[in-house]
Amino acid sequence: MAELTDRLSTFHGGLVLKHHKELSARNKVVRVDRPQSLRISLRVNRGHVSEPVVAVGDRVNKYQVIAQPIHPFGVVVHAPFSGVISAIEEQPTAAPDAESAPCIELDTDDQDRHIDYLPPLPDNHRQTLIKRIQDAGILGMGGAGFPTHVKYDHQIPDLDSLLIINGAECEPYITCDERLMLDEPVALIKGTDILMQAVNASQAVIAIEDNLGGVKSLLDKTIQALDLPAIRVIKVPTIYPTGGEKQLIKVLTGLEVPSGQTPLSLGIVMQNVATTKAVYDAVEHNRPLTERLVTVTGDNVGRPGNYLTPVGTPFYHLLAQADCAMSDIDKLVVGGPMMGYPMPNVDIGVDKTTNCLLLLTKDSSKPDLATLPCIRCGDCVKACPQDLLPQQLFWYIQGDNLEKARDHHVFDCIECGACSWVCPSHIDLVSYYRYAKSELTYLDYKKAKAQLAKQRHESREQRLEDIKAERQAKRRAKTEKLKNKSQAKEEISAVLDRIKNKPKDDGKSS
Amino acid sequence: MTGQLNTSGSPHIPAHFSVTKVMAWVLLALVPALFAHLFFFGIGLLVQIIIATTAGYLFEWWSLTWRRQPLKPFMTDLTVPVTALLFALCLPPIAPWYVAVVGMFFAIVVAKHLYGGLGNNIFNPAMVGFATILVAFPQAMSLWLPPTGLVPMGNELQAIGWQQSLSIIFLGFPQSVLPVDAITAATPLTALQTGLQQGFAQSEIVQGVVFGDFGGLGWEWIANWIFIGGLFLLYKRIITWHVPAAVLMTTIAASTPFYLFNADIYMSPQQHIFSGGIMLAAFFIATDPTSGCSANRGKIIFAAGVAILTVLIRNFGAYPDGVAFAVLLMNLSAPLIDRLTVPQPYGKKGQP
Repeated sequence: MAELTDRLSTFHGGLVLKHHKELSARNKVVRVDRPQSLRISLRVNRGHVSEPVVAVGDRVNKYQVIAQPIHPFGVVVHAPFSGVISAIEEQPTAAPDAESAPCIELDTDDQDRHIDYLPPLPDNHRQTLIKRIQDAGILGMGGAGFPTHVKYDHQIPDLDSLLIINGAECEPYITCDERLMLDEPVALIKGTDILMQAVNASQAVIAIEDNLGGVKSLLDKTIQALDLPAIRVIKVPTIYPTGGEKQLIKVLTGLEVPSGQTPLSLGIVMQNVATTKAVYDAVEHNRPLTERLVTVTGDNVGRPGNYLTPVGTPFYHLLAQADCAMSDIDKLVVGGPMMGYPMPNVDIGVDKTTNCLLLLTKDSSKPDLATLPCIRCGDCVKACPQDLLPQQLFWYIQGDNLEKARDHHVFDCIECGACSWVCPSHIDLVSYYRYAKSELTYLDYKKAKAQLAKQRHESREQRLEDIKAERQAKRRAKTEKLKNKSQAKEEISAVLDRIKNKPKDDGKSS
Repeated sequence: MTGQLNTSGSPHIPAHFSVTKVMAWVLLALVPALFAHLFFFGIGLLVQIIIATTAGYLFEWWSLTWRRQPLKPFMTDLTVPVTALLFALCLPPIAPWYVAVVGMFFAIVVAKHLYGGLGNNIFNPAMVGFATILVAFPQAMSLWLPPTGLVPMGNELQAIGWQQSLSIIFLGFPQSVLPVDAITAATPLTALQTGLQQGFAQSEIVQGVVFGDFGGLGWEWIANWIFIGGLFLLYKRIITWHVPAAVLMTTIAASTPFYLFNADIYMSPQQHIFSGGIMLAAFFIATDPTSGCSANRGKIIFAAGVAILTVLIRNFGAYPDGVAFAVLLMNLSAPLIDRLTVPQPYGKKGQP
């Protein structure tokens, strides 16, 4: 299994960014007032759509299951409040490009006495825990939204693995993980312990960035108090994107996740701190995942801070809670300023991966700088944490030479945006790589389909050919027989017999 | 609700880098060398810079207009003055005005815009301009002045001022009054080549006064100031160490065997480094990212190629210095080197 190294390693490139965390980090967490209606997306990020198991007009209890996955990579969806289902329809969601997905609209009420908790756990076996994580609808809350139980199902049961709890939020502005670690150290450490059982890990590391003041000592104290010495807290340098899965693994273990594979290939499981807390809630309190901490921060935010937000809360409701003045706002970003997605309006619901709403005025968002041609200055090469040649990729993609981009490892791009950020020509490089990846994936799919069709066609041709050959062979054999007199006689008598014994025709069939 | 919000792509916070800033730092880094030049060779260089920059901007404007490109971003990106300055630093200070104009025509119109403008040029524009005039105006290109202190004492021409520089540059030599030879002097590299052709041994030639302490009088100090400017660019992270280190070290490595083999006809490594254009190439020309290589390994190969070709041209070629031709030849090879030196990314180390 992967081992922690005594000395931390470094990854190539990276950026030192102004982190703007002081804006929201120090304020106490505020629980969001119950919204009148929720808009709960049935697809989180770009994952698989779950199927609603309720109908419009149905009354649901708090924590009642309202949608079930139809794909193994989907997640269960629970109602954050009791209320009435008012609509089930396609709506824009808090995903990249605000992509539309089926959403359940829930008119909430305050009759919270009807609560469908998850049943108490019978035991603490590994499979039981994994099943509980699945039933609680938990997914990677750091951003990717990959269903958590799937990670563990694919784990080889007897292999000892290393669990990394990722508390290194390298994006500027976002502080929900930091706040969670400060406010809920016991839940986090106990959650880590539960995850260690679920993934068969004998050690766990909680990685935090070295700009978080009192977090390490607080967590260390908690670990000591709970007597869980297998859990360690390690500070990693604050260099963007140190919180990226691949970069953090490199920093902690010196190992690189092989291209195209997951950390499991190294015996590593990585989980975000918010996910860890959700697992704790599901196991200890039988609560499904229906709310999360969301950082609301940026410009013109009256009360920046972290908000305990029910899944499906419309952005306008959350922004109103934080006293945001929207009149001068140019951009509303879900996530951080480096990788977050801009939203077209505030009429979208928070989902399980929404970690931050960032408001930016024209002055602080990217001003409309003229895009100049690439001068190949190589600043992007110096910044790239994946050791790619961004300017060469750009060159090939611009010339629609996508296969060349593949040869230059475009699929190893993690879209962290470091190249776009440093580009003195202000080229939106990441968009080019996204385009190339989706286009290549589509071309591969088309090629595979064409290949399959070709194979089918060929095997059909072959089959027809075979049948023809068989017939010809039979006919030839018959002709051969008829040539020989005695055999011909036999043949003729056999045919006559057959005719004689033929059942009487009812005249309808021919 | 404010209607539709801006949905342009990430990142959403600016970094405040720009091509203009990069070019401004390069210009700033050239200032020490520029002053050294002016100190040793007089005010003529300033006139050449003004001619080259003006001509450069006119050609840029003209090219952008007929290519129907927006004027503002490209006229303000400061790439023209960088090209003009690098080009002018290679010019003899009292070369006729049309030399600079023709050179800048080839730099801006031919090397840059005919290949697609900023960022698309295969060749280094300043070197194309310089190589063109080197071939086209061999005589004008030999009009180097003696470094200050070399002009015979008592001669009223020892300091060439504004007026004289201007009149020589724009009106040509008033032959009747001033013989050309009275005020011009060979560069160390030219002196060496001529000397060798006349059958002198190197050790005899370098006794000549133009050779200074360790390279060439004046030239060695200009090289030092270029070096300082280069260190500044390294500090500002405009360039990486790969190209300068590879150019200088390869120059030494490639010239040492020749020198050891026959010190009478081959220059010492130290003279290679401190005379001619090698220092400028190391920090300001071979580091041009557009016409150079992308990957670090590629940069080193590219830079080593520049150094080896320069040494070969100086030792065996018809021209006293070969930096411009070496750079242009390596510009040609850059795409091939790029293709062969793609680094293995994260997670693919050790894979083919």
